[in-house]
Amino acid sequence: MQLDRVAKRFDQTLAVDDLSFAVREGETFGFLGGNGAGKTTSLRMVLDIIRPTSGSITVLGRAPGRENAPLIGFLPEERGLYRQMTALDTIVYFGRLKGMTPGDAKREGLGLLERFGLAGNARSTIDKLSKGMAQKVQLAAAVVNRPRLLLLDEPFSGLDPVNQTLLEDEIRRATADGATVVFSTHVMQHAERLCDRLLFLAKGRKRFEGTIDEARDSLPARLTLLSRQSPAGLAGVASARRVGEAKDGWGEWEVQMKAGASAGDLLERCIAEGFPLRRCEQQRAGLHDVFIHLVGPAEARS
Amino acid sequence: MRNILIVALREFKQIIAMRSFWLTLLILPLALAFGPVAQRFLDNDEASQLMIVDRSGGAVATALAQRIDDDHQRNLLGRLSRYVRRHDLAAAGPGQPWAQHDRYFTDADLAAFRAAGGLPAALRRIEAVKPSGVPEFKQEPPDYAVVATPPALAAADPAALDAAAQPLLRPADQAAKAVDTILFIRADFASSGQARLLANSDPSPRLMAMVQDVLTRQLRTGFLRSQGLSPEAAAAAGQIAPALAVSTPPPGGGLKEAMVVRSFLPLAACYLLMMSLMLSGSWMLQGSVEERGNKLIETVLACVSPEELMYGKLLGTVAVGMLMIFVWILCGVVAATATQGAIADFIRPAVEPLRSPGTLATMIFFLVVGYVSVSLFFLAIGAMTDSMREAQGYLMPVMFALILPVTLLIQAVVSGGGGVALTVLTFVPIWTPFTVLARLGAGIPTWQVLLAGALLLAWTALQLAMLGRLFRHSLLATGQKAGLKTLIEQMRTRGA
Repeated sequence: MQLDRVAKRFDQTLAVDDLSFAVREGETFGFLGGNGAGKTTSLRMVLDIIRPTSGSITVLGRAPGRENAPLIGFLPEERGLYRQMTALDTIVYFGRLKGMTPGDAKREGLGLLERFGLAGNARSTIDKLSKGMAQKVQLAAAVVNRPRLLLLDEPFSGLDPVNQTLLEDEIRRATADGATVVFSTHVMQHAERLCDRLLFLAKGRKRFEGTIDEARDSLPARLTLLSRQSPAGLAGVASARRVGEAKDGWGEWEVQMKAGASAGDLLERCIAEGFPLRRCEQQRAGLHDVFIHLVGPAEARS
Repeated sequence: MRNILIVALREFKQIIAMRSFWLTLLILPLALAFGPVAQRFLDNDEASQLMIVDRSGGAVATALAQRIDDDHQRNLLGRLSRYVRRHDLAAAGPGQPWAQHDRYFTDADLAAFRAAGGLPAALRRIEAVKPSGVPEFKQEPPDYAVVATPPALAAADPAALDAAAQPLLRPADQAAKAVDTILFIRADFASSGQARLLANSDPSPRLMAMVQDVLTRQLRTGFLRSQGLSPEAAAAAGQIAPALAVSTPPPGGGLKEAMVVRSFLPLAACYLLMMSLMLSGSWMLQGSVEERGNKLIETVLACVSPEELMYGKLLGTVAVGMLMIFVWILCGVVAATATQGAIADFIRPAVEPLRSPGTLATMIFFLVVGYVSVSLFFLAIGAMTDSMREAQGYLMPVMFALILPVTLLIQAVVSGGGGVALTVLTFVPIWTPFTVLARLGAGIPTWQVLLAGALLLAWTALQLAMLGRLFRHSLLATGQKAGLKTLIEQMRTRGA
């Protein structure tokens, strides 16, 4: 899936601004951003539900369109089902809209309901199911066609912990089967657990694209050192603060590196200069910190 | 096309799974089934009881009783004549009055009818030649029956007449049969001309006219005799009447019935179109609102285009509407072929136009295209609103604008009026299907049908394009509602 300089304007609002990124086949790609960042708009353009104002989109090697539906699974942020349809009929209906035969859709639907613990509710109408059950039915409708590309818009919102685990399992199952998964979220833990690569979006613009490690590396490294003297003078160190005392004159220091300087560089320097050092621990930045750093606190709060 | 059919099938299934659909569908067949039964209960088969207290000598009472029987026999003769003509049974009684038609049955005819044995004798002769399958002649009781006057009332003082009559008009015993009317003829009737009518409710105008006529003749006869005319000449003068020849169309076709018959089916189709549109349109609206209200529209749009969704919903609803109309017409046809009596007599010729491919095609065209055209309004409303309450706000003015002129035009067609207004409505596309269907029976120039059809088709195509765009724009719109200017702009622009 590839977006090339895509923009989408609604009246006076520029929802997506010059957005370019690519999702490789088979990877799990996180689409991260606050509310109104342009995540849903971007996914809708990929699905051809709305058209971009400018730029181009390629999905599975083709332009967006309903002809891609048989290869795509989609779970929207705002979820709902036909209340008077049975669970199985709902799955079969969406399966058929994705090009499946009634027989295949029914077979696959029954299998999914069995896997999701809803085999006994196949003939129940949606209005008789609990919210959690209905969410499972919706997920089943999204994956009934064994999609090659699974698009999930805020898939974890509103799910109870059991269903969150179920969804994570389904995402892992899909990727294990070779599917590409793109999901938008603003819950960093899910992204950290599932994503191969990420994209940070703020006010419709891309702020970052890369792996989780690359995202973390975008923040200046932070280290905890146990040394006899202040590391503040070492090359690459931005700041150093003594945070604790140890015996025999050793002290604990919290070190903030300059942008681009790594812990390895510092260690090499210490050895070369005979700087007394007993311990050096790198504090990995959390994705949340990276997000706030990249998109700004105000954007992150939204 | 595949997706359109899948969406249409889902819409169709959803609507026919509703209880309200089945209730609506069964209303008409139930009405057809129970109509005759209800009619039987509603019909007053009993003759109205008339009591005559004649103190003028009895001539008036005799003349009135004779008149009542004459009217009944004349009515029987007329109906028997039509029955014989309709079923081609004149061979049963060559020369008999009931084997003739296009004439008023005179007193001489009645006398001949009575002399030949009356209705029982006529029916025996008819039975002898009647082929199997021809329904029985349905007898009807006389409208009035003259009942004997109790001696107490006959002898009652005129001043005490009201008091004596009340127990007869309103008997205390609920089971006792009440006398409907008591006619009191004074002893000096010939000179004073005064008579009184006591009734337990408003007497029918027909009874009043008949009594008035008989009493007038009696007075005239008396007057002529007082002027020196012989009793026979005076009586003959009272009987003078024109020989009126009456031309009526054959039963089951012809002038008056033909107009009613030819008008009936298209007019019924017009009503059915309106009824099924009101019902299935609101179901479609419910479906559209559900898709938006339940937030599943995005899931659907990931698989089908807005146009496919729109056409699918339209097709599903049109199928429901046409199914309803088809079932109702089928019930009518079944009722016409499988039943006897007045209902069958009425419906059988009414469904006759279905045999004509041209009429049938015209009716189907205006039904289907009209249905699509009006349904599109419901669809657009459904796409723009989030709840049924909000949708009702838009729906009411649309329904009002549609139905009010249609109701008026149907009345105008039935009464044979309408004039220019009817012609104008014919060419206003939103009313075209109703107007053309309503006018088809009474007669509408072919050029008007063709022009109205072409305009309706063009209008529906325009609607499909414009409301299709509005549908696409509105589906995912949230927040503040679009104003009229925005809506017009959305109808003019293609993409979303």
